[in-house]
Amino acid sequence: MRRETETVARRLVRAVRQIIGMPDYEAYLEHCERAGHAPRLTEEQYLKEFFEAKGKGVRCC
Amino acid sequence: MLLWGGISALGAAGFGVLALSRGETVNAAWLLVAAVCTYAVAYRFYSRFLAARVFGLDERRATPAERFNNGRDFVPTNKWVLYGHHFAAIAGAGPLVGPVLAAQFGFLPGTIWLVIGVVLGGAVQDFTILFCSLRRDGKSLGQMAKEEVNPAAGAMAMLAVLFIMIILLAVLALIVVNALRASPWGLFTIACTVPIALLMGWWMKVWRPGRVGEASVAGAALLLLALVGGGWVSAHPTLGPAFTHTGVALTAMMIAYGFVASVLPVWMLLCPRDYLSTFLKIATVLSLGVAILVILPPLRMPALTPFATLGEGPVFAGKLFPFAFITIACGAISGFHALVASGTTPKMIERESDARMIGYGGMLMESFVGVMAMIAACTLDPGVYFAMNTTPVALAQASDVMRHAGFVVSPETMQALAARMGEQTLIARTGGAPSLAVGMAQIFAGVTSGLGGKALTALWYHFAIMFEALFILTTIDTGTRVGRFMLQEILGHAWPRFRETSWYPSVLASSALVVAAWGYFLYQGVIDPLGGINSLWPLFGISNQLLAAVALCVGTTILIKMGKARFAWVTLAPLAWLVTVTMTAGWQKVFSSDARLGFLAHAASLVGSVDPNAPRLVFNDRLDAGVALLFMVIVTLLIVTSVWEWWAVLTRSKPAVTREAPFVESAYAAGD
Repeated sequence: MRRETETVARRLVRAVRQIIGMPDYEAYLEHCERAGHAPRLTEEQYLKEFFEAKGKGVRCC
Repeated sequence: MLLWGGISALGAAGFGVLALSRGETVNAAWLLVAAVCTYAVAYRFYSRFLAARVFGLDERRATPAERFNNGRDFVPTNKWVLYGHHFAAIAGAGPLVGPVLAAQFGFLPGTIWLVIGVVLGGAVQDFTILFCSLRRDGKSLGQMAKEEVNPAAGAMAMLAVLFIMIILLAVLALIVVNALRASPWGLFTIACTVPIALLMGWWMKVWRPGRVGEASVAGAALLLLALVGGGWVSAHPTLGPAFTHTGVALTAMMIAYGFVASVLPVWMLLCPRDYLSTFLKIATVLSLGVAILVILPPLRMPALTPFATLGEGPVFAGKLFPFAFITIACGAISGFHALVASGTTPKMIERESDARMIGYGGMLMESFVGVMAMIAACTLDPGVYFAMNTTPVALAQASDVMRHAGFVVSPETMQALAARMGEQTLIARTGGAPSLAVGMAQIFAGVTSGLGGKALTALWYHFAIMFEALFILTTIDTGTRVGRFMLQEILGHAWPRFRETSWYPSVLASSALVVAAWGYFLYQGVIDPLGGINSLWPLFGISNQLLAAVALCVGTTILIKMGKARFAWVTLAPLAWLVTVTMTAGWQKVFSSDARLGFLAHAASLVGSVDPNAPRLVFNDRLDAGVALLFMVIVTLLIVTSVWEWWAVLTRSKPAVTREAPFVESAYAAGD
């Protein structure tokens, strides 16, 4: 039961992060694991690249 | 089927009540019913037709997010989550301000345009561009124009975007300046967001890297503290005056802020502020919806005001046709969305079929925000509404009509209202934001006092102002930045080194140029005796609608090249309407012989005047006329080149080659 609540809470946090457009290094690590390769970026590099890409996006009127 | 018949009938009844009401007040509930039923029917039937028959969305086709999944920008995302993300990216101040200004014509014209326009125009545009980009590895609108229409069209689209960006930033900055003018409470709260965002940036990047959640919670708490603290500051004998500034001083602050924010690394200021504003945006939109449902306020504005046909409105000049349709751009159809729908969103779609809900459905939601803004503005007494949204000069010109229509309010009433909102004055607070905030404050205060608490009207008013100003500032940060990238790209053709986004001389020079450009229009708007919004908002509306025309041209080209010419009316019909509306509006703004409406006529009326400001006003009128003409010429050229391309493809003198990415089978369809 406690375990289930934890996963639900974690999924909720992840969803909120995605909606707001926040970085999520943990999700990146999971992605690498699924894709079957070692992470190519350290957390620092990941954040740097994430924010760089973010600066090029538009927000609407 | 019975259910959908019922929903259609209910929607029709809603519109019937709205349209037939004469003299008596109508409840906002009818407006909501009419809008929501129309959205539901359109989504169920029209968007399904677009998805299945026109675009042929294919579950089995892998999306760019699946094919290029890199865990960063290309990420397959749950459709509900992406819906939220996309909505937060498209909805800004536009759908809030446009309807408030268009309330000058009464609640009916704006509401009909919001609802019909979105269903047949805006949502179709967003969906089409999203689909086109989805099939082209997430390419941008400019790239698609270049590849599918021709290189000249690509260059023109890019130029159009840059100019539009400048006008957009100027008008949005003007709204903030007008909302914060002589308002220590508002200015203190908004000023606090800068150190709060810096703290959050430092928290999540330096102190505890990656702990974005913690930083955001702390930021949100500090934001509320700043909001409450603003009330104390405004009453303070020394701090109050220190945060009380004129429009010109605020303009200087905005310009300095825009420059600094666009030069700093994004994690420092831009991103954290963006998080706060997105939180606030989603939470406030949801609670406003609930609050309107709880209160169901009566609309005090009539369905139609005399200004609809007279065309001498004090908020902005011009008759209902065409000006209602350019005043409300965002919420009905907004060209800017084409940039988002061909930006981050197509890179995150998990399945092709999700595009229907995100592209079409996302825009319906924005239209709904527009309807709520319309409701909030129309719950105000018309006298109050006009006193807030016009300058004394404009009000004097329209005073006969106003008195005749009964749109009068005593100075004492206005003073009492200002005191309740915690402001020094609410007269001539043009730009739409303050009147929306008063409307929202009254709705929210109704809920809090209904729940047994205090009315907290002044707090709610400043909450609403903060809500609007926060995401306008975010648009100013990102817009200046994107404008800078575009300028660097353009100047890079002449001097290649300019293109390097990390070469500081280029960064500083191009940022300064972009800021100077919108800053100029902002400053002129602030000192304009007719209140700036009067000339800048129509210019923005025209430019935004013309960008939509560009997007629809690209969409039509792609549909024709896909061999779907028999369905091309889905984009051609809104395109034809938009071109008619915007070209008429543009023509009238430039050439009308009425000095209140036409830029050139206004300039001519001032030539030889003894007013020391006359030469400056004349110059600005001519500049505005030039900008409007430039937009019209760019779009005409783009339409001509597109039609040329369509003709060539349809007569088979040119093979129909699209740059669609080849089909790759999706792993999701194969059963994960």
